[in-house]
Amino acid sequence: MSRKLFLFLQVVLVAALALSACGPAATPTPTPVPPTATPVPPTATPVPPTATPTPSPTPTPQPIVLTDGLGNEITLPKPAQRIVALAPSITESLFAIGAGKQVVARDDNSKYPPEAAALPSVGALWNSLPLEAIVAQQPDLVVVAAITSPDDVKKMQDAGLTVFWQANPKNFDDLYKNLNDLAKLTGHEKEAAKLIAQLQERVQAVKDALADVQDEPLVFYELDATDPSKPWTSGPGTFVSRTIQLAKGRNVGDVLDKPWAQISTEELVKSNPDMILLADAPYGVTPEAVAARAGWDKIKAVQDGKVYPFDPNLLSVPGPRLVEGLETLAVMLHPDVFCAQPLVNHLEQNLVGAVCKP
Amino acid sequence: MKTRWGRAFWLSAGLLVLAIGLSVTVGAVPVPLPVLARLLWAGLSGRAVPASLPAYYHTIVFDLRLPHTVLMLLTGAALGSSGAAYQGVFRNPLADPYLLGIASGAGLGAVLMLAIHRPAGWGGVLALPVAAFVGAVLTVALVYALAQVEGRLPTTTLILAGVAIGSLASALTSFLMLESEGTLQRAITYLMGGAPLSGWQPVLAMLPYWLVGQAGLLLSGHALNVLQFGEEQAQHLGLNARRAKALILAAASLTTAVAVAFAGIIGFIGLVVPHVVRLLWGEDYRREVPLSLLGGATALLLADLLARTLLAPRVLPVGIVTALFGAPFFLWVLRRARPTAT
Repeated sequence: MSRKLFLFLQVVLVAALALSACGPAATPTPTPVPPTATPVPPTATPVPPTATPTPSPTPTPQPIVLTDGLGNEITLPKPAQRIVALAPSITESLFAIGAGKQVVARDDNSKYPPEAAALPSVGALWNSLPLEAIVAQQPDLVVVAAITSPDDVKKMQDAGLTVFWQANPKNFDDLYKNLNDLAKLTGHEKEAAKLIAQLQERVQAVKDALADVQDEPLVFYELDATDPSKPWTSGPGTFVSRTIQLAKGRNVGDVLDKPWAQISTEELVKSNPDMILLADAPYGVTPEAVAARAGWDKIKAVQDGKVYPFDPNLLSVPGPRLVEGLETLAVMLHPDVFCAQPLVNHLEQNLVGAVCKP
Repeated sequence: MKTRWGRAFWLSAGLLVLAIGLSVTVGAVPVPLPVLARLLWAGLSGRAVPASLPAYYHTIVFDLRLPHTVLMLLTGAALGSSGAAYQGVFRNPLADPYLLGIASGAGLGAVLMLAIHRPAGWGGVLALPVAAFVGAVLTVALVYALAQVEGRLPTTTLILAGVAIGSLASALTSFLMLESEGTLQRAITYLMGGAPLSGWQPVLAMLPYWLVGQAGLLLSGHALNVLQFGEEQAQHLGLNARRAKALILAAASLTTAVAVAFAGIIGFIGLVVPHVVRLLWGEDYRREVPLSLLGGATALLLADLLARTLLAPRVLPVGIVTALFGAPFFLWVLRRARPTAT
């Protein structure tokens, strides 16, 4: 080997070593505070386990300590100011409690309210976690829902982020707890309390109006019928199922054994629902198309013309709009009770308009 | 000789009737046999259904199960007879109806139709099978065109062209599936043979093409026998070999294309059934094609039955069941064939 080449290689080697020393600063341990750690007393200086640089305020505020749905204990020195929300329910809830200004980025699917849609998106979650885009936002808190796996949560924690995981609510009380947790993390406890009180009032109003109602129509909630011989529906234990029951109805899917399952058309024909709600209406399914399916034209709901489009976001996004979902269901299942009531006016008119003819 | 063929037909027909009966009896909702018998009798004799019977039984049997059974019957028959024809034309026991890229072409057509965001209801429920059918037919036409050598249609060139175009179509299909996240599930079930359409409409749509294709195949028995001697010999025996091959393949391709379009891509029926027929009753294509027709229908009906009952209430794609049973059988055939090298 020539002397020049050898010298060149030496220079390259030294340069490589030098550059590797200028790598990114070693991130402090990203592991969350172990559950055995005692909560910091209010007057002591807060111990920040978060890696992202938060400007340390001179008067030491009370740190926020909360345990998330995965059992991780999250500690924030002060209410989060740069939040990345990775689920439509999280985004909606944050805006609903007045913390919209503290959200800096969202995921692709979070499009409600319109102010949220204006925020930058870090990408879609269906393929793989867009970690780089999330880190680039320099969040002090990432809030995720059940759609994000514990593996992905670990990935984010390893990258030095503080992650708060919320389980999907199974009932309204779970929803209120989730809203409360978000309120504590963002410092909007008062507004959340007001919101929760309003939601509870609305739920109670529906229950009161239905107190004397006796008939419970059988409802088929269609999620996806691309294969019309085996449509997908919500099974027992899902929010859809519980809300239908709360609205004094019966869910066809309750005979199945999984929360999200297919039902054969044979079983559907046998159960003969009184009403079919098309949660796949946004994908172009119409009541006329349903009537054209083999065997479906004999179902009572089709023969009575009680096949209605529905907005799946009202019952599938586990946020404050679930209460609107309950109200809409109540109107559609019992138009004689609810069409005259004022609550009809703030519901989606293209849905309730189908049952409440003037 | 005559009685042997007679026995073969009666046996095959009997098995088929049994399979049809089982297929109509089994389903998600148990229909008691007496009820089934009364319904079928009422349907056949034109009498009214007894009012005491719950209405849903009628809907289930006549609007759901019967059309599904007929669809599987037609599909299996199509795959069986065209499998026999392909094996005859290519004189190769490994040939199956998908040799010339029909499956890949149908898959591409189907996924293309699923991937484009067309207005809802456009083309209705038949849009998918029509697209699959067009894809299959175009692919085979392309393969024919590419395989022409000096006015002749050499077998090797046909196979090579089929493999090449088939691979291209598969690659495009995979790409389309990756790009359209939402339609992935439906496309996958189609490619596994798990997306049969329901109701009488698809059966009626399929019937004309099926009849034309099957007629062509059933009449090709003698020509296939002559082709077994080799193309040159066949020519000397007075058969226009090139034209016969083209026509037989056209009929077989048409039949397969229409089968695949409406039921998804179901493998191994076209490969295994002709083998079984040959093992049992020898290699006379005048009998092998119709017996494979009956055998294919029976085999697919039984596979469909298994698909519906193995993991009840879940329904497996039929293509998975045929592969599960067909592949070991195929391996066994291979082992048997090895000592007697062709």
